[in-house]
Amino acid sequence: MQCRDFREVADSYLGDELLIETNHEVIQHLESCADCRRELTARRALRAQLRSAFTHAPDLQMRDEFAVNLSARLKTKSTHNVNFLFAPRATAWLALAACLVIAGSFALKAMLHQRQRNQSVQAELARSLEEKGKAAGTTDVGISPQTNRTGDAVRSAKIELAHNAAGDHRDCAVDFRLAEEPVSLEDAGQRFDPAYFDLVKAVTSYEGEASSSISFIEAHSCVFEGRRYGHVVLRRGGRLVSVLVTDVSGQTGQLAKQSESGLREDKMDQVIACSQVEGFNVSCFETSRHAVFVVSDLSEAENLAIARALAPNVYRHLIRAEAAA
Amino acid sequence: MSERIRQVERAGGWAAFEAEAMPHLDGLFRVAMWLVRNRAEAEDLVQETFTQALQSFKRFEQGTNCRAWLVTIMYHTLSKRRRAEMKLQLVSDHEERIAETVAFEPPTPQGITEEEVLRALGRLPLPFQEVVVLSDVEDMTYKEIAEALSLPVGTVMSRLHRGRKLLRTELARYANESGIGRGHVDTGTQKTSVPLSEQRRKSDAMS
Repeated sequence: MQCRDFREVADSYLGDELLIETNHEVIQHLESCADCRRELTARRALRAQLRSAFTHAPDLQMRDEFAVNLSARLKTKSTHNVNFLFAPRATAWLALAACLVIAGSFALKAMLHQRQRNQSVQAELARSLEEKGKAAGTTDVGISPQTNRTGDAVRSAKIELAHNAAGDHRDCAVDFRLAEEPVSLEDAGQRFDPAYFDLVKAVTSYEGEASSSISFIEAHSCVFEGRRYGHVVLRRGGRLVSVLVTDVSGQTGQLAKQSESGLREDKMDQVIACSQVEGFNVSCFETSRHAVFVVSDLSEAENLAIARALAPNVYRHLIRAEAAA
Repeated sequence: MSERIRQVERAGGWAAFEAEAMPHLDGLFRVAMWLVRNRAEAEDLVQETFTQALQSFKRFEQGTNCRAWLVTIMYHTLSKRRRAEMKLQLVSDHEERIAETVAFEPPTPQGITEEEVLRALGRLPLPFQEVVVLSDVEDMTYKEIAEALSLPVGTVMSRLHRGRKLLRTELARYANESGIGRGHVDTGTQKTSVPLSEQRRKSDAMS
């Protein structure tokens, strides 16, 4: 190898990118050539100097404030899914304004459509509950009009509750677009309802087949259309399952009164009502003060099976909490 | 996948992102600052880069070079912006010719300050600066640089080879003019070492 050849491959030699044979030739040449040894040392030093210069150049350094703000924004975005705009430009604002105008006109049409749809869903739900009450022996919760002594008022309250629970599952678990930020169950247990304490433990202590196929995602307390829930989110086969616990003693007096005696544990299989609301299957059971909903887009049988698997422990947990209160 | 699952996984994923990507913020900013030479624009670029990186963090393969992945995102972001602003800079034949004309290899001078090394780097055509910075400062492999710059690996290798040679030529010229490291300078090669600025003038005159 000649000096000229060495200088062509010296950088590759430094980067350990040469074939073994060429490496040997370089080493042999270096042993006998002081100029090239000096050149190699100089190139190695230049590379280190370039790196050091780049790393320490005052003009290239980031402001601490920028780093802190960016980190905070990214964290917020990652944990709360807040769709904020980074330093929006004028054009972005104009585009946003134009979108709002267009979206506004669609929203008006959608609202009218939704109102009509809700009315038909309510009617469908009522029919569904009546049929299921007849067919599946779910009469203990008073869903079926045949055994419901308090009549249409209670049935209407239950429909409203099931509808509300399905809405919370959709807006909180699926789309995460609640108006009010959820709080922890511990916080909600202190401020709103002691039954929320240890709710996760009660929900997730199911046994048998369910324990291997259901995984816990998260838990919190959220509010949907004025109703507060203890919300435990589970997952089965990639589908979300919401377990929603809400206090019904204050707002639905008739409902609570009707369920005053609570449910007998040995009749647990019979106390699950099942219905479909806005594409979700809803199973429910009650204690004297609380209603529990299991909502998912799993099949009716799967949703019901999950509700039955977790009902005994949740029921015991609620009864204890109510007695302590 | 539902938004709730995504949200929960993001909450858990922040810790991974913070541990994996955030330590490279300083380095990324320096590269961005070097590329755009404007603090506000560099901050904007880095912000967009990290936002996009966070959104697509699932696509990052654990165990690979996160810094190279971030640099790739940053270059793609920058490339989109430049295209949008019709300021896309390509290596012109003119610049390639300049690189080719550095036929002789001056010895690498020693005793040059870091400031002068950076200034010399800044005098190279941008495409040569880029590969030198990504390779010799950021320690990226040819393949990683090729992906970041959307170039064939062979182009990266030849550009890097020429870029380093141009940098040494610039430094040798500076050392010669300033009388630095004369003990090591081969005067025979110095005669053939033409300053880059001079070569540019000649090339401009020819074209």
